[in-house]
Amino acid sequence: MADGGTGPGSDGQGIGARVLRKEDKRFLDGAGRYVSDIYLPRTLEAAIVRSPVAHAENLKISPPAGAEGRFFTAEDMAADGVQPIHVVSKFPGHKGSDYPHLATGKLRFVGESVAVCLADTRAAAEDLVAGAEIDFNALPPVVDMLAAVEPSAARVHDDWDDNVILDSRFDANAENVSAPVSVTRTFRMNRQAVNPLEGAAVLAEWDAREDRLVVYSASQIPHILKNALCECLGLRQNQVRVVAPDVGGGFGYKCVLLPEEIYIPWVAMQVKRPVRWIQDRREHLVTAANAREHHYSVTLHAQPDGTFVGLEADIIVDSGAYSVYPHSNILESTMAGRTLHGPYTFSAYKVRSRAVATNKPPIVPYRGVARPGICFALELAIDAMARELGREPYDLRMQNLVPPEKMPYTTITGGEFDSGDYPEALRRSADLIDVAAVRARQLEGEADGRLIGVGFGCYIEMTALQTSAAARAGLAAIPGYEQAHVRLTPDGGLEIGVGVQNHGQGMETTLAQVACEKFGLDIDMVSVRHGDTATSPYSTGTYASRSMVMAGGAIARTCDVLGENIRRIGAHLLQCGFDETTISGARVVGPSGDVSFAEVARVWHRNPEDLPADVDPAGVEVTSGFRPSPDKSPFSYATHAAIVAVDPELGHVEILDYVISEDCGTIVNPMIVDGQILGGALQGVGTALFEESCFDAEGQPLSSTFADYTMPGSTHLPNIRLDHLVNPSPLTEFGVKGLGEGGAIPPPATIANAVNDALREYGAEVSETPITPRRVRACVVAKS
Amino acid sequence: MTELTLKINGEDVTADVEPRLSLADFVRDHRRLTGTHLGCEHGVCGACTVLMNGEPVRSCITFAVAADGTEITTIEGFDDDDPMTMLRQAFHENHALQCGYCTPGMLVAARDIVTRLPDADEDRVRLELAGNLCRCTGYVGIVNAILSVIEKRQA
Repeated sequence: MADGGTGPGSDGQGIGARVLRKEDKRFLDGAGRYVSDIYLPRTLEAAIVRSPVAHAENLKISPPAGAEGRFFTAEDMAADGVQPIHVVSKFPGHKGSDYPHLATGKLRFVGESVAVCLADTRAAAEDLVAGAEIDFNALPPVVDMLAAVEPSAARVHDDWDDNVILDSRFDANAENVSAPVSVTRTFRMNRQAVNPLEGAAVLAEWDAREDRLVVYSASQIPHILKNALCECLGLRQNQVRVVAPDVGGGFGYKCVLLPEEIYIPWVAMQVKRPVRWIQDRREHLVTAANAREHHYSVTLHAQPDGTFVGLEADIIVDSGAYSVYPHSNILESTMAGRTLHGPYTFSAYKVRSRAVATNKPPIVPYRGVARPGICFALELAIDAMARELGREPYDLRMQNLVPPEKMPYTTITGGEFDSGDYPEALRRSADLIDVAAVRARQLEGEADGRLIGVGFGCYIEMTALQTSAAARAGLAAIPGYEQAHVRLTPDGGLEIGVGVQNHGQGMETTLAQVACEKFGLDIDMVSVRHGDTATSPYSTGTYASRSMVMAGGAIARTCDVLGENIRRIGAHLLQCGFDETTISGARVVGPSGDVSFAEVARVWHRNPEDLPADVDPAGVEVTSGFRPSPDKSPFSYATHAAIVAVDPELGHVEILDYVISEDCGTIVNPMIVDGQILGGALQGVGTALFEESCFDAEGQPLSSTFADYTMPGSTHLPNIRLDHLVNPSPLTEFGVKGLGEGGAIPPPATIANAVNDALREYGAEVSETPITPRRVRACVVAKS
Repeated sequence: MTELTLKINGEDVTADVEPRLSLADFVRDHRRLTGTHLGCEHGVCGACTVLMNGEPVRSCITFAVAADGTEITTIEGFDDDDPMTMLRQAFHENHALQCGYCTPGMLVAARDIVTRLPDADEDRVRLELAGNLCRCTGYVGIVNAILSVIEKRQA
């Protein structure tokens, strides 16, 4: 049904239709309601005393003058029995540590929360922060991940033998990993910040009428936040309600628990007034929203004819000081180790991956989780192999991609690709970018002295993390059956409740399209409600490109059940058999007539005296659920291709052309799909060329404003050309695959390969993101 | 405290404010006009852009007292404004917003572009937009929306 809204009478609003977004109007009017737009009477504003050093012990805190009853520390929380965040993976050997809400004696990164100050305005609260004094004994910090694994390194956690959080090995046929042709390279993807335009925000009060704590938070995972609040504060589930209202982007940052999400609500309970904390951009860049930071030593082994044989790697991921709830601090390192193979066939695999602790903020999941790093490392190694063999990088990839006839395909590490035509994506992107034309242009040379290069990046993305994989890791949030609640309203419309959280993905529209596809309603008659634990079914939330697959699937299944109930009432009204009815155009159709949903709804809600005696008491309000069966994940994939111009004198890289051939299975709304890919791709360009969270040798953050941290802007990328393949997943409703993250995965690899293609006459290779002019120049100078 | 008299969205407003209060905090916290968003509070991201006497300013790095005697227009003040009406529809049709957080500042900046540069081409639009960050869309929809309004206004 991917070619255009052909559901029963859906009038072009079902699966595949380019429906404009239902949620746009409030944002265009400036009437969106984010956490910072909610004003509760008598609210106090919070500002946070934060650590000025990366590593210290014997922390002592002196409150500012005039802060009685307005200043709170870890001691106060401990006295009240508040429990710290503690997330340990089930993987053997994982070293556990608490993540204190407020620092308890030791300081482990610059910006770590130390104390809370309250006042009537944020400015007055910041005045109190300025008056607070803290004292400590500074310790040598652990700043670089490669130094952190050395035995001589200082310890981030005193009771650990070393700083290695988890040392994982992923070996398969490892004794046969070597082959006649080998290339070895080291790569680094540096730390960056997530930067949704709205930072974190928390507003909390004990609501006397509801008799429970109500927490408004800019969260992707309201139900998981509720679990954490209950666990840390010792509250029953019926004593906590979490509301995630409009949320200004998340990209993974808002799918982890922040210490502020615990201590701000706790403080509100102490002062018996609403308290709010609105993160400013410096806090965002410095204290919490760090991501990526991988180092790879990779050896790719191949036969002389180019057939890949073995992949060897030693991977180190800088996970920062603490383990975040619920996804822990080993998500990146284990995913990197397990799926470094990408979309290619290998017969041997010998990969070690270590997560290490440093005196930097904990890393959080960010769009693509690990895969931008592994794609960067593997795809650059493939281009190095192509140069070694004298082959076109395109041809070498085509030779080694998993072919469509092998689907479903079991990978060397035991994963399973469900469907797709990976070589076709590469073929189509190569046609669009026109490799032959680039080669001809390179022979001619550029009038301005710049060098032209073309590069590819292929990836696969496991979407909608399956139950068994999350359970194996022992995560604090394991997704099971996703549920939807669908109610036929008295006027014949639908209200749909979901536990996932929409923060820009357009789900108030696309999830409604699922119901339109099933019933043929007008989309104006369908409302999707989310973001409130009091009114939505339980869910682990929105992350891992799961919401369309899981919540969309749940709505489809629930509509199937509800449709039967509606047909039963319709059959009674039509005086025909249930089996003789169908649903089309929001009507129950029988052999000699039809009856509208509005009529069925009127009878159920307003004139129940007209219902048959044996009517199903479940009525027209149904909750049901979905997960892929068998319990496996659909894999999206794409090839990105770029042409760049590199100035070897100045090191500047300009993207001249960029194409994407992708497959996310059945497309629910082509406008939304394109928007997700385009937005993701520009974030990937940020990773490739601009964004870096720098630290000095003492662990002081150097990228604490948007002046020091370069975000991709409107002039940084030409209009991308998009191309779609549609190979529906056999695992999901409608054949959809997850989509949200993929666009951000291959741009660093694609752009770096294009730069290295341009620089090949120098024999120079960039190997580190972001590819700044300084780094390009350093590569060129080293080879000149 | 400093006395302040100005017009906001056509309404006369008098207030007594701290000299250090930003115009953004004044319109948001004192006037409850929450459509003006704060993305960085250091004048880079553009989410807080409002019109002061018809010209775009960063309300996060403009003191409220510096707005004394001026006319301020926030995103809530464009209901009867033809260019803004066209831009809102064009943003909707071109999927020029996702999370919506940058959108008010984008729209105010876009209105300035289409009214001040009626012949702007894509390169010029992209250059003019460089003072507004969007983390969601990749800017493609925003640029297309603005270009479509420029074209319609030329017709």
